[in-house]
Amino acid sequence: MDDSSVPSRARAARAGLTPALLFVPLRRGLAAVAAPIHRLADVLLVSRGPYARAFENLILGLIIFSVASIGVESIPDLPQWMLRALRITEMVIVAVFSFEYLLRIVAARNKLAFIFSYQGIIDLLAIAPFYLTGFDARWLRALRLLRLLRVLKLQTHILESVVEERTQELAHKNAALEAAQAQLKAELEVARALQLAILPSAFPARAGCDAAARMIPATTMGGDFYDYIELPGGSIGLVIADVSGHGVPAAFFMAVARTNLRELATRHADPAECLAYTNDALCAQNPLDLFVTVFYCILDPQTGVLHYANGGHNPPYIRRAAGPVEALDGAGGLVLGAMPGASYATHTVQLLGGDRLVLYTDGVTEAFNPAAELYGASRLVDEVYVHGGGTPQALVERICQSVSTFAGSAPQSDDITLTVLTWGAP
Amino acid sequence: MNVRIEALAEATYVVPEGRLDFDAAGRFQEALEKAVAGTGQAPAALIVDGAALEYVSSAGLRAVLIGAKAAQRAGVPFALCALQPAVREVFELSGFSRIMAVHADRASALAQAQRGRT
Repeated sequence: MDDSSVPSRARAARAGLTPALLFVPLRRGLAAVAAPIHRLADVLLVSRGPYARAFENLILGLIIFSVASIGVESIPDLPQWMLRALRITEMVIVAVFSFEYLLRIVAARNKLAFIFSYQGIIDLLAIAPFYLTGFDARWLRALRLLRLLRVLKLQTHILESVVEERTQELAHKNAALEAAQAQLKAELEVARALQLAILPSAFPARAGCDAAARMIPATTMGGDFYDYIELPGGSIGLVIADVSGHGVPAAFFMAVARTNLRELATRHADPAECLAYTNDALCAQNPLDLFVTVFYCILDPQTGVLHYANGGHNPPYIRRAAGPVEALDGAGGLVLGAMPGASYATHTVQLLGGDRLVLYTDGVTEAFNPAAELYGASRLVDEVYVHGGGTPQALVERICQSVSTFAGSAPQSDDITLTVLTWGAP
Repeated sequence: MNVRIEALAEATYVVPEGRLDFDAAGRFQEALEKAVAGTGQAPAALIVDGAALEYVSSAGLRAVLIGAKAAQRAGVPFALCALQPAVREVFELSGFSRIMAVHADRASALAQAQRGRT
């Protein structure tokens, strides 16, 4: 028993009943009545289901009917049966309005606020004259017109709240999407930075030779890479490679390929042997059937002798100090990662003082311009021939500039990578 | 790029038309896998007819490789034919022509596929 039952207990005591006997069924009775009423109020007024809409239309119809009936009643000499019919409908209307008014009070969270609100007062004015003065307060019933306004206002309000709710939902979803996208972008930027960081930034210092390189990914992450490897005995390994496709899968495969090649290069002095072992290693860890084209060469900085093997890569160019540009032969070895057991061939070329070796990926020669034309090997050879006399850095920049100018507004469809090596006195 | 599939009794021909680049590679790979699966039963042979193929990128090569491996797993002879010179050069530079049969035309591709089957 709680203390709020004190007044009813007092009343019960005055009536000669024990409080407990009266209170329990009263409370049970109230609870039994209150629950369905709350449910009803919820279904007819609060929810936006079919019942609520039907109830609202009923009220709207009754309002219009009752307002119209005022006009009819004012016609003189109406037959008796019609007056009686109008009286009966008036009673029914007031009964429904009263029922609705009470339901609204039940449904309102703050009941006093509802009763004294604009709506509440109009609702009360629509029924109060009947209770106070009976049927005669005809002109007061004109106040019901205000109810019409109220209903219209209510409908607008419902529409507005639906629109607002949907707008808010959309805004929430947009914000969530934007946040997810921003996070993804931030993570990709980190991955891109990591990827660029594993590319060597400087060529190992050797008297008489120098190299420069550049990798421009087509998407956030690239599948191209280049590498300089310091080998036992003072030789330098030079790698350029292109993983099929681009984006995150290519970037992962690039990292695996680079690590394997770097590791195996220190153990196998022969380029063909190194590629064969690398190929087998990559085939064993290649769930996505990716592959990588690799050109791998070993330069003896003392003699300028270059041993190389080609696993499916575009043949590099040598720009002889004397002038002509030659493509290195020995192309056509299988790309790495496609099939285990592939074998490769080692070739040898003698660099002469001032010669340049130009390694590139097909992002250079297969850059498209807006007219869908290829940059092509001949443009590259021309650039190498005309501008090959300067530093490796200058030639790399020159070619990148030339490709970029050619491509113009056409989007870059593949990673672009270039490495230029000079040997001997210029 | 557009891909036509001609399912004939002697072989299923897959005919890519246009540029087989990064954007088209996924579609081409699906077409090859569909052709290998066949309708009801596996095809007698799978032959890629490159007569209308203008360009192939490394992503396109990968799609061809995946198709060739799927055919091999299914026991279906796989070959390419009628490649345009630029495309043929890509197959040679990448070493793909060492692991896949590349023929001048449909007739020779089919003849070799049938020899391989008997």
